[in-house]
Amino acid sequence: MKTTLSSSLPVPAGAVTARPSRLRHWRAALLLAPLFVMLLLFCLAPMGWVVAHSIQGDEGLTLEHFREVLGSPFYLQAFDNSLRISLYSSVVGLLITLVGAASLRRVENRLKNLVVAFINMTSNLSGVPLAFAFIIIVGTNGALTLLFRQWGWLDDFHLYSRSGLILLYTYFQLPLGLLLLYPALDALDDHWQEAAALLGANHWAYWRHVGLPVLAPALLGTFILLLANAIGAYATAFALTSGNFNLVTVRIASLVSGNVYLEPNLAAALSVLLVALLALVAVVNQWLLKRSYHAR
Amino acid sequence: MYYVEISGLSKRYGTTTVFEDIQLGLKKGEFVTLLGPSGCGKSTLLRCLAGLTEADQGQIRVDGQDITHLAPQKRGIGMVFQHYALFPNMTVAENIAFGLKMLKCPAEEMARRVAEVIRQVELSNKEHHYPHELSGGQRQRVALARALVVEPRILLLDEPLSALDARIRRSLREEIRDIQSRLGLTTVFVTHDQEEALTLSDRIFVMNQGRIVQEGSAETIYTQPATEFVARFMGSYNLLAPTEAKQLLGLDLKGHLAIRPESIQLSEPGRSYPAHFAPVAAIIRQHQLLGNIIRYHVEAQGTTLLIDHLNRSADDLLPTGTQIAVLIDRQQMREVH
Repeated sequence: MKTTLSSSLPVPAGAVTARPSRLRHWRAALLLAPLFVMLLLFCLAPMGWVVAHSIQGDEGLTLEHFREVLGSPFYLQAFDNSLRISLYSSVVGLLITLVGAASLRRVENRLKNLVVAFINMTSNLSGVPLAFAFIIIVGTNGALTLLFRQWGWLDDFHLYSRSGLILLYTYFQLPLGLLLLYPALDALDDHWQEAAALLGANHWAYWRHVGLPVLAPALLGTFILLLANAIGAYATAFALTSGNFNLVTVRIASLVSGNVYLEPNLAAALSVLLVALLALVAVVNQWLLKRSYHAR
Repeated sequence: MYYVEISGLSKRYGTTTVFEDIQLGLKKGEFVTLLGPSGCGKSTLLRCLAGLTEADQGQIRVDGQDITHLAPQKRGIGMVFQHYALFPNMTVAENIAFGLKMLKCPAEEMARRVAEVIRQVELSNKEHHYPHELSGGQRQRVALARALVVEPRILLLDEPLSALDARIRRSLREEIRDIQSRLGLTTVFVTHDQEEALTLSDRIFVMNQGRIVQEGSAETIYTQPATEFVARFMGSYNLLAPTEAKQLLGLDLKGHLAIRPESIQLSEPGRSYPAHFAPVAAIIRQHQLLGNIIRYHVEAQGTTLLIDHLNRSADDLLPTGTQIAVLIDRQQMREVH
């Protein structure tokens, strides 16, 4: 048998491992295929459809739908309501979950596991059942409403108003916020608080100078997800107000399935503006992160 | 009267006693080490001194003031943690300035003091770096600077060198000792490393199972271990059981006989020796080269002895199987219980 020079030379270790590693890479990529297909079919394609229809008029491409939305006090009110409710419920939800998650790290394991299991369960209670639960507890003739009225604690609270919706939205933000923030708090080293205390910092000074800045990316990320969660919410608000409260999602639904008139292109324009708003918030988040120490 | 006095201090977690009835006194400017194995309670004792853990019983006094129940913020104690505990969102300068900021120190004075301490710990040009951009040794220097800049009454060091590699550890411990001496700072150092304790300390408190088992200078602790535990913990002591001591040296003892490896000499059989040495016939079974020391494992009447011999030249090395006489210095033997 003829032995060539190249076949007798030792093969570099890198060359031996290169092929299987590339193969592994392709195999992993292949396993992602179903995910890509789903994303393509149910996220990117509808997005493309929405963008395309938002600029589609009777006589070709137009920005008329955007002009109509931005020039209409009714649609602007829908944005105002959606943004206010989402913003307030996200901020309040974030604060409550931050305090809750920080406390949860300090309680004993049994209680911690119980609370996490309960939160996991309640995170699945949304939509119509959640609206019904709120109606029987804090609705016009809800148990707590009657009790608080009797005690004189409640005067003009109305579940079907903006403040009622903020309460409802805040509630369904809590499980999501807690599930997102709880693992993020592991980034905090207990020794930082001890070191800060020995340097004269009280509890608040520690959180202000160390805890919150360290958690900033997680807090901002959670805030954006809560905001998106609230802005996109539809079923709960619709079930509670029967579509009588002016929200962007309620407007979009009425334009694509309304029995008065159908205007899918206008609905698409509303959707694009909603997505643009969220994208803007995400961009600001990224910009802030790039300026922080986390980016270094 | 001591500058720092700990009396009758005890701590339990449920039914587990962490430490009990600790009595300890520190002179002003002294460098004291709490030395012991993991879980002996030394770090918890340090935390009680810092106010980070509440003691169950006892009292801690600093300069005559009872600080037992005082908040950490009000104790005037600086601490350096094993894993640095630097604030990751702050630069080196900001980390160091944190304590001064909390004290509401004027900006000009703060800048001056930060610059001074940065120079002391040799971190110039690193002021604007974040902790994750520094090496382990540099991070620990920042932690030290952060603790020093507020001019604490006592400096606590909780195994500050154990996360560092050997070379950095050696150089940093010399710097710590140098800075401590220059500032005359009362310092409590916690370690499980005997070498560190012996190198750095004015006094060592050896702890085991929540109790101080021996207290003394490095020299005393090393050459006169009070108990079998201290002898074992302080290094490669030869510890002979009473039967071995009787068989080898004809001694009637109740406790173990502790003999330091370097106090045993190697000799040729039949050679004369000073009167205070006890000669024992032995055979070399093994040797280890420890740099400037050759450690022989010799067997004498069924008992293995360790002998440390200065490695002067390669010709000194005695091969395995060599018949020798070992000369044990009677003055260096200690009975321990």
